[in-house]
Amino acid sequence: MTDLTRLELIRRAALGGAAFAIPGFLAACGSDDESGAGTTATAKKELAATLRFSNWPLYIDRDENKKSPSLEEFTQKTGVKVSYVEDINDNATYFGKIQRPLSQGQSIDRDIIVLTDNSRFPGLLISKEWAEKLDKSAIPNMANLQDSLKKPSFDPDREYSLPWQSGMTGIASNLKLTKTPVTSVDQLLGDSKLKGKVTLLTEMADTMSVVMLANGDDPAKVDDAAFDRAFKRIQRAVDSGQVRQFTGNEYTGPLTRGDLAACISWSGDVVQLTVDNPKLTWNLADSGGDIWTDNMLIPKGGDAYTASTYMNFVYDPKIAAQLAVGINYVSPVKGAKAEAMKLDPKVADNPLIFPDEETLSKTVIFDTKALSNQDYLEKWQNLIGA
Amino acid sequence: MSVAAQTAPLPRRRAGVLAFLRAHALTAYAILAFVYLLLPIAVAIAFSFNSPKGRFNYTWQGFTLDNWRHWDAVAGLRDSIVLSIQVAAISSVVATALGTLIALALVRYRFGGRGSTNFLIFLPMSTPEIVLGASLLALFLNLQFATGFTTIVISHIMFNISYVVVTVKARLVGFDRHLEEAAMDLGANEWTTFRKVTLPLIAPGILAALFLAFALSVDDFVITYFNAGSETTFPLFVWGAARVGAPPQVNVIGTAIFVLALTAMTANILLQTRRARQLKGAA
Amino acid sequence: MAWFHRHKGLTPYLLLAPGLAWLAAFFVVPLGFLAYQSLQSGTFDFGFSFTWELYNYWDAISRYRDHLVRSFVYAGLATVIALVVSYPLAYWIAFRGGRWKNFFLLLIIAPFFVTYLIRTLAWQTILADEGTVVGVLRDLHILEPDGRLLATSTAVVAGITYNFLPFMALPLYVALEQIDPRLIEAAQDLYASRAKAFLRVTLPLSLPGVFAGTLLTFIPAAGDFINAQLLGTPNQHMIGNVIQSKFLELIDYPEAAALSFVLMAFILVGVFAYSRALGSERLTG
Repeated sequence: MTDLTRLELIRRAALGGAAFAIPGFLAACGSDDESGAGTTATAKKELAATLRFSNWPLYIDRDENKKSPSLEEFTQKTGVKVSYVEDINDNATYFGKIQRPLSQGQSIDRDIIVLTDNSRFPGLLISKEWAEKLDKSAIPNMANLQDSLKKPSFDPDREYSLPWQSGMTGIASNLKLTKTPVTSVDQLLGDSKLKGKVTLLTEMADTMSVVMLANGDDPAKVDDAAFDRAFKRIQRAVDSGQVRQFTGNEYTGPLTRGDLAACISWSGDVVQLTVDNPKLTWNLADSGGDIWTDNMLIPKGGDAYTASTYMNFVYDPKIAAQLAVGINYVSPVKGAKAEAMKLDPKVADNPLIFPDEETLSKTVIFDTKALSNQDYLEKWQNLIGA
Repeated sequence: MSVAAQTAPLPRRRAGVLAFLRAHALTAYAILAFVYLLLPIAVAIAFSFNSPKGRFNYTWQGFTLDNWRHWDAVAGLRDSIVLSIQVAAISSVVATALGTLIALALVRYRFGGRGSTNFLIFLPMSTPEIVLGASLLALFLNLQFATGFTTIVISHIMFNISYVVVTVKARLVGFDRHLEEAAMDLGANEWTTFRKVTLPLIAPGILAALFLAFALSVDDFVITYFNAGSETTFPLFVWGAARVGAPPQVNVIGTAIFVLALTAMTANILLQTRRARQLKGAA
Repeated sequence: MAWFHRHKGLTPYLLLAPGLAWLAAFFVVPLGFLAYQSLQSGTFDFGFSFTWELYNYWDAISRYRDHLVRSFVYAGLATVIALVVSYPLAYWIAFRGGRWKNFFLLLIIAPFFVTYLIRTLAWQTILADEGTVVGVLRDLHILEPDGRLLATSTAVVAGITYNFLPFMALPLYVALEQIDPRLIEAAQDLYASRAKAFLRVTLPLSLPGVFAGTLLTFIPAAGDFINAQLLGTPNQHMIGNVIQSKFLELIDYPEAAALSFVLMAFILVGVFAYSRALGSERLTG
């Protein structure tokens, strides 16, 4: 057994970073050179050799060689290599996976993870004290954060989190099968021609918002009656075989493959999928959808300084614009639109990527109280199949 | 008469066709069954040579050897394979050692509790993997024992022991005791007899068990899924990758494992056939 | 023979000790912990506590009755189909295989060397809606014009059958291979037709293999969740999916643990009844 524990220790030291990392190159770019009083007791002013970043799929810019220009630029600037893993598929599943080591005081070998605010998990991570504080002295660019995102309910002072991207939930269609884009929830859930070729999202807030809006209810103020109405409507669609499955991010495979005609999906995913299937398109539903924000958090044991340095990097409007053009999600960075104009005016003018008032008026933020409602959560779990 | 003579050959020919069909229906069926068994393998191997433009490896888009040349271009793939091999190496050796000892005891000695021991060995094989994985997780959670490399190895050893016992037992049961008795009669003590007579003869069985344990460990998904913590073995990597589009490199590794295992087993069979022939020749 | 008498002492126990200790520590004890967990109550957010919550079991059975029934139906179907498919195959190898027997056996085991998940993913590709197989079936009007194979119970059962086929074929082969062909010859000399000889001689003699094969197939199949996850919809979800989700995603340990024991109990009952029916005691041989 001692051999195994020794082996395990060696593995941890090799893979880990935080406390054992060999000091890497110091930041060369201007905004990173903040010296002075550290913000937390654990503040380290040396960059780790590697940044371990867990993210959702289709959430970083990629060129034809499947490499990420923005990550490479970060490495060039700071000397920190990025270990980028796309292993987050669904908030509940990912949280379930990391809570076990975290609850036992172990590190999960990540410096940055990304969780959505329309689930209860960013708040839960913080309340269980499993998140490291940001090193704000390393993130002067934080001033570029959109005002509307500065004080979220789960982290009012932005001590632990920073938005990665925002997005909207709408309907993706495979034009080869649907001829015209599906934009009405009635069609999605009722058109018999689409029977068995529709999926909904496992994320309660996303699917419920879209359906509640179609029912004429307000997802920002969920009451039992409204919940039940939407719930029953979805249940009917499931029972009739209209809905094939509930998915996290893995709807992308079947959608691209042609197994699905239309599905509830997230705004930016489709753009990178069109490389595989040019017939895919995304629209907000006519009745609207919800708008949410994915947040970068530093799990316990992660290197707060290196993670904060990276966050500062992506809050530079130039980089933010690069990301917006590459992944077509809504940037949380002020000034990104102006920079995006220089890179790709079509993207900069796209209201789904840089929403205007009209688009924003069709989106709502899901009621955060409803996210922790045990009754709703149980009902929802039973609906999506255990 | 001439009519009868003319019509006589026909029935025989028809009977010939029917008989042919009947005799070879089973063979035809066997061929179909083999095709069915090997079809997904063929597909998996074929798609390891696919060059998809995007992230999904579902439709054939062109032949390439790039996936094989750059098999570790996918982040995390190499680490997961290395981890799987490390775990399998350790767990198969330990399980084989423990299991062989048990098998020896079960076959050669009569002792109280033999029946219940047999039962205890059989139980893990007949418990659904999900229950095995879940109960191990319950153990580690309640003991506050961190899940990770150690727990993976522990669980793999556990489920491998039963398979090793069954494999080695099968070999031991057919073992001719007289050879040992002959050695002892010629003056060898127990330990020498064991080393020079018994062990070499049951070695193929032990090796087969080792190989089986290794293969089972590399392939295990369910039990590992529950107990891996934040480590990723190859099957876990495939599971995660499948959610977002498994790259062709996954097929490459799968094919490589397949070819290696196939080669090893073929070599084993050839060796055993040759040895059997040698023994027969010597007899 | 001399061995047995000479070593009645500690040796067997010494040999058994390490392995059995391992099994005791990591098989028996965990089941105890699982039982302990199944009697807890509470939620992840606020903590679990031991409260002799037998209600968990009742809740598990009543809430997931459909999943339990479905699991056993799917596993049963898969077992029967596997038996029907493997028996002729095993027969052919045993009686017609000749010198190539081992090679053909290898072909049966070969699929096993490709990771379980990759095999199932390959079926996803093969059975894809826009793929060749479904296209042919649609042309032959076996499927409706917009019918599909993926995300149906057919696909799930087919997947389970495929993945556990070697577990059925190998024991069958072992049993069939041990049958002395002269017995069949003798039956035929006594004027039995080929069919009768098979039914009266071969089949009964192969029953131990049938028994072993069906058990080795049914038991793991009943607890499977991968096929249902990858090839089916929530309407096909088996009890394994529920257990997996409750343990790893919902973090509802008490319920999940109770469900695991319910599954085990049902399997044990089923196996017991089955072995009584067949009258075979080769279970632990």
